[in-house]
Formats: sequence, C-alpha cells, structure tokens
Amino acid sequence: MTATQPPSATPIGRGPEEDRTYYGRPALKAAPFEKWVVGGYIFLAGLSGAAQLLSTVADLVGRKKDEAVVSYGRWLSALAPTVGSALLIYDLNTPKRFYNMLRILKRTSPMSIGTWLLMAFSAFGGMTLSCTLLAGRLPRLRRVARVTQIPAAVAGAGLSTYTASLLSATSTPLWAAAPKALAIRFGSSSVAAGAAALSLGARHRGRHRAARDLDTLMVVALMVEALATVASENTCHKKRISVGTEGNGLQAAATVGMLLPVGLHAISIATRRRDTRLQHWASWIALAGSLCLRVSVLEAGIESANRPRDYFRFARPENLPPGT
Amino acid sequence: MSKGLPLSKRVLEYPDSRLPHMMPDEAELTAGIRVVSGKSYGFFTDTTVCIGCKACEVACKEWNNLPADHLGLTGNSYDNTGALSANTWRHVAFIENLADRPTGMPAFQSNWLMMSDVCKHCHNPPCMEACPTGALFKTEFDTVVVQQDICNGCGYCVPACPFGVVDVSKLDGKAHKCTLCYDRLKGGLEPACAKSCPTDSIQFGEVADLQERARRRVEELHGLGVTSAYLYGTPGGPGATGGLAYLNAFFLLTETPETYNLPEAPTRPANRVAASLVSGLAAVAGLALAALALFVHPD
Repeated sequence: MTATQPPSATPIGRGPEEDRTYYGRPALKAAPFEKWVVGGYIFLAGLSGAAQLLSTVADLVGRKKDEAVVSYGRWLSALAPTVGSALLIYDLNTPKRFYNMLRILKRTSPMSIGTWLLMAFSAFGGMTLSCTLLAGRLPRLRRVARVTQIPAAVAGAGLSTYTASLLSATSTPLWAAAPKALAIRFGSSSVAAGAAALSLGARHRGRHRAARDLDTLMVVALMVEALATVASENTCHKKRISVGTEGNGLQAAATVGMLLPVGLHAISIATRRRDTRLQHWASWIALAGSLCLRVSVLEAGIESANRPRDYFRFARPENLPPGT
Repeated sequence: MSKGLPLSKRVLEYPDSRLPHMMPDEAELTAGIRVVSGKSYGFFTDTTVCIGCKACEVACKEWNNLPADHLGLTGNSYDNTGALSANTWRHVAFIENLADRPTGMPAFQSNWLMMSDVCKHCHNPPCMEACPTGALFKTEFDTVVVQQDICNGCGYCVPACPFGVVDVSKLDGKAHKCTLCYDRLKGGLEPACAKSCPTDSIQFGEVADLQERARRRVEELHGLGVTSAYLYGTPGGPGATGGLAYLNAFFLLTETPETYNLPEAPTRPANRVAASLVSGLAAVAGLALAALALFVHPD
C-alpha cells in the first residue's frame, strides 16, 4: 500500500489485526547509514580482524618458511584502523566530533563496544606490524610481535563479528529477527574473506601449500555462512518478515560470492588439475561476495524498516523473548 | 479531565491578564503540580478526548523554535504532518472510519480516532542505550534528552528506537527528539504541548499519578460502554513489553496499537547484544580452530 491510498483501504475493525497500518507509513525510522560506506567498513573490519587472527594462528603453529604469509596478514590488519576508521568518520553527520565516541564505554551499545574493539585492535595490530617491519634491524622485536599479536587476534575476532550485533541491537525487523544467525553469517564471511586475501598473498609469494590450506579454510567458512543464511531466512519466514529487496541484485551477488568459490574449488579438486587460475578467481569472488553480503544486508534492513507490516509482524507478543 | 484538575489557590494571586513577572512554579497553576527534580514525570495522552486541533504541534514548534518539515497536503485525512521527525516532536494522527459509519454516535468523539503522538520517554530507553557518545541521557525529571553539544550524528539511536521517534536532522547533523520541555521543567513550567491542550487530552504529571488517573479513566469509559479502551505503555500492558518496563509518556487507546502506527509488543534492542556477540565469537573461534588444525606443522 502506498502512502496516498485512501484510509478505507484499512478500515477500522476489518482484516487481520497485525496487518493494519497507518496509511502504509513506516512505523520506524530506518538507519541513516550510507550502505556502501558502512557496508565497506563492516567488510574491511571483518577482513582485517580475520587476517590478523589467521596470521596469528599461522605464526604460532605453522611452518617457518610461511613467514611471508604471516607478515602479509599483519599488513592486511592495517586496513580497518586506517581506511575503515576513515569510512566510519565519513558516515557521521557531524564528523568533526568523532572523538566523542571515546568519552564512554557502554555495554548496551555495540557501536560503543566496537569503538573500543577498533581502538584495541589498532593499538595491538599496529604494534605487531611495526615490530615486524623493524625486526630486520632489531631481531628482538620479532618476539615482541609474537606477544602483541595475541591481543590483536582476540580484538580481531571481535572486530570480525561485532558488526552483526550492531545491526541486531536495533528495532529494524530484518536485522533483529535472527541475531545469532546474522552474527554467524558475518563472522564466517569475515574468516572466508581473510582466508581468501591471505591465500592470494601466499600464492603471490609462491607458497602454494599454504595457499591450499587457506583455500580449504575459506570453503569451510563459506559453507558455515551458507548454513547460517538458510537458518536466518527460515527464522524470518516463520516471523513473516520479508527478506527480499526491491533491488539491484546485491543480494544475488552476495549469494553468488558465497557459493561460486565453493563450486570453483569443487571443480578444481574433481578435475585434479589444481588450476591456480581457478583458485585465484575463487579468492577474488569470495572477497567481493563478502563485501556484497554486508552492503546487501544493510540495504535489505533499511528497506524492511520502511515496511510497517514487517515491523508489526516482528513486534508481536508471540515473538517476545521468554521472560520479558 | 472530566472531573477537573485540582486547581491551586494560587490562581487568586493573578487576577489580571497581564503578569508583572514570570510566575514561580507555574505548573502548579496549569497542571496542579510543582515540578521537582528527582521525581519521575511524563505524559498521559487520552486519545478519547483529542479533537485533533494540533495546538500541541504548534505550541511545541513555537516553544522549541522548530522549523517546518514540509508544506503541502499528504492526502491522509487531516494529517499533513505525517510523522514525528527531527523538527516535529508532536504529531497528531487522524484515522477516519469511512467504511463503517454507525447510525448513532459512540460515547466519545465522532467516527474518528485522533491521537497526539510523542516521544515515549521509555523507562529503559533504547536510544540512550545505543548512544555511543553519552549524548542521550536521563534527566533529573526521569525524561530522555539528547545533549546537542555532545551528539556527533552517528545516527545509531535512530534505528534503535522501537517507535520511530528519534531522527537526525540534515540541517545540523545532530539527533533530535522531544525533550519533554526540559528547559520548561527546569523553570517550573508545564511542557508546552500539555499546557496548550484545550481538552486535557495531553496531561502532564508524575508518572505514578498519571498511571492511577489513567486507570480510573479506563474504568470510567468501560462504564460508559466503551469497552475497547485500554492503556498503551503502562507496566504489563502493550507497548511496555520486551524489557522496556514502561513508558513515561503513555496513551489511552480504543483500537489496536497498529491502527495508530504503534507496535503491539516492542522490544529492548540491547537484550539482543549478548546472544549475538557470543554466537558470532563462537563461530569465529570454531573457524580459528579449523585453521589451527589445517596449519599445524611441527618443523
């Protein structure tokens, strides 16, 4: 129903109660986020956080000669503090007051939690990277990096998934309907993107063995993401919330970016050709898919907030969490 | 109020229409209470006596110096305001029942529903819980206000609000909403909308008093045969669900909440934070273990 339809379209006392609206006007205000700016940040935060986490695991248990992969991961972790922070500040409506985010820490606000996660990640990730870079002159710094990378990896794990809580802790029906599934989707998509980026780096340095391990991890992460996507769509259907967009195919791009890399790897294993070009493409597609996932979730959420019926169906007594 | 407010004897001190100075504790004369910090204040909006005059909208705009949102007609009955926004903190909704005209008039109003919507000043305010700068805070009057010198316009309070109230202004890049006339309360005055309401559809007072008054009004209406009357936003009722506890600005309605563009069972978004963080971290930790199993290579 459009806002201009006459009120007789929703007569009082007629029709299913929860399907009534006020002239079809939104009952909520949609998030005033720029989908490509905030989506871009969520993608970079996930990529950086996961790259730091994976390079830490590789440094702790992996082969000595794969050190190049580890330092590549530490470089990738610089994306969130630099480009990511710039995107966040750009999205503020009063950017010159960005530092007010640092006045407080509030545990009910994922945006506040995320601010401090990003701060911790920037500090420890930055220390790890600078120690890696200076290790040529001062070999002792290599050991410092081995220590600082651990808190950086922990903050990185938080950074790669807290953005889902940020969206779920709103009243936007599509984001709020399945908080756990959304967090798993974002977390596994981050790990897939981190593994894909590291695999590209490893292949570039000729570390094919490491690249293959990373590709396997990417496929596992993408399959976890696919399962969580199915679970989240089921929950939305149960609550009768539309998951679709009027859209420009971003959702389709995200689905392709999630499933095609898995398919390409299946082909490369089935044909036993170990075609590096195929794997190269799979990594790039997974990275693009991870970005499209975040932008499409933002877009679909903003559209769902503008559909009053979706919100009223979400805000029904039967959907209340137990104990409230 | 049909029974009339308990008017203060102080009205006798002001026999002239011209006042020599600002009245101290003016709310005592206009709302029958003295505004004291540390107590809990709110609005009781009784939609059965609303006549849709929009005096509340005008008084709010005038006192708070708010610019016009848009000039023009929406085509939605007499509602040309549309919705609450950064510049509109009271909004009168008009619901015309064209499909089902009765032959006799009900005990109140005509075949219209009118309702003056406002920020609910939730007991557990989702906007305040989302605000990462601390710009949104609870005042000494138990109301929720955005500090304009702190807000950096991140906009996170906007989707957090379960009632679509808070909005970021494109004019100044800050979040805005009803302050329950914080400045007037500090000066002992009744909020502008409540003072201007000619039928006392909007009543200002201490929340506990208002809730009691509202319960009596519902009983009175039920006695008159308006059995559909109920309260929205009082403890245990619709609108006060999902951890919101209760709304300091609550309503007496006679149709489903959705008819007035209100959700029946809104939730407190902060309750979703822990579950989401834990399951996200669990997924990432699981995949990190998979990475460990794949990468491990003793050499």
